[in-house]
Amino acid sequence: MSDTLSETDLDVRLDVDLRLGEPWVTLVWNDPVNLMSYVSYVFRSYFGFSQAEADKRMLLVHNEGRAVVATGTREEMERHVEAMHDFGLWATLTKADE
Amino acid sequence: MLTQLASQVAELLETRADTSPDAALKRLLPEAYRGDPEAAAEFRRFTSDDLAGRKVANARVLIESVRDAAAATSATRVTLDAAEAQAWIRALTDIRLSIGARLGIETDDAVLDQGEPMVEVYNWLGFAQESLVVLL
Repeated sequence: MSDTLSETDLDVRLDVDLRLGEPWVTLVWNDPVNLMSYVSYVFRSYFGFSQAEADKRMLLVHNEGRAVVATGTREEMERHVEAMHDFGLWATLTKADE
Repeated sequence: MLTQLASQVAELLETRADTSPDAALKRLLPEAYRGDPEAAAEFRRFTSDDLAGRKVANARVLIESVRDAAAATSATRVTLDAAEAQAWIRALTDIRLSIGARLGIETDDAVLDQGEPMVEVYNWLGFAQESLVVLL
């Protein structure tokens, strides 16, 4: 019993630490104009995702309406969002817990 | 025609006002924060000039590389280096986004009037872009 509790404690603490260090995310939203192959290409070439990872996130965008493509500081996420706008993708940043 | 479209996008960006309600401009320079107008305005203040400038530069690269071919009297080949290809793929995207906004394409299953010339252009640009993506 106590083992289980301490593991949970550890998980919670780890989670809080990660959030303090990296509290922002970059989201890419679905749009009806950009081609699926292009969105996947952008994810591969800019974020360095493998083809499989890029396709996975592209399909999330397509099917769920949006996908998280990066996590980090607010400044880093602003840079990513600007780069996505360069590519013509519709991206926003937000706090990770929102 | 491609150069005309690219010129129109460049002109739209160069003559823009940051608060313009123009649908194409809103899509070319979208809000970076949802539900936080203040942060979105701040982001726009610091990035939109550079972003618009890069988009205009991409359009110019496309115009420049098509110019000679457009003057040719027979079928001709346009060769792009890696940097030009990157400018092209972004410029084609910006043209498609602008046309998409003009055509009012808002959902994935929007029904387009295939007889409409601008829809044909939009489709052709999609085909051209797809071909370029495959090569990159």
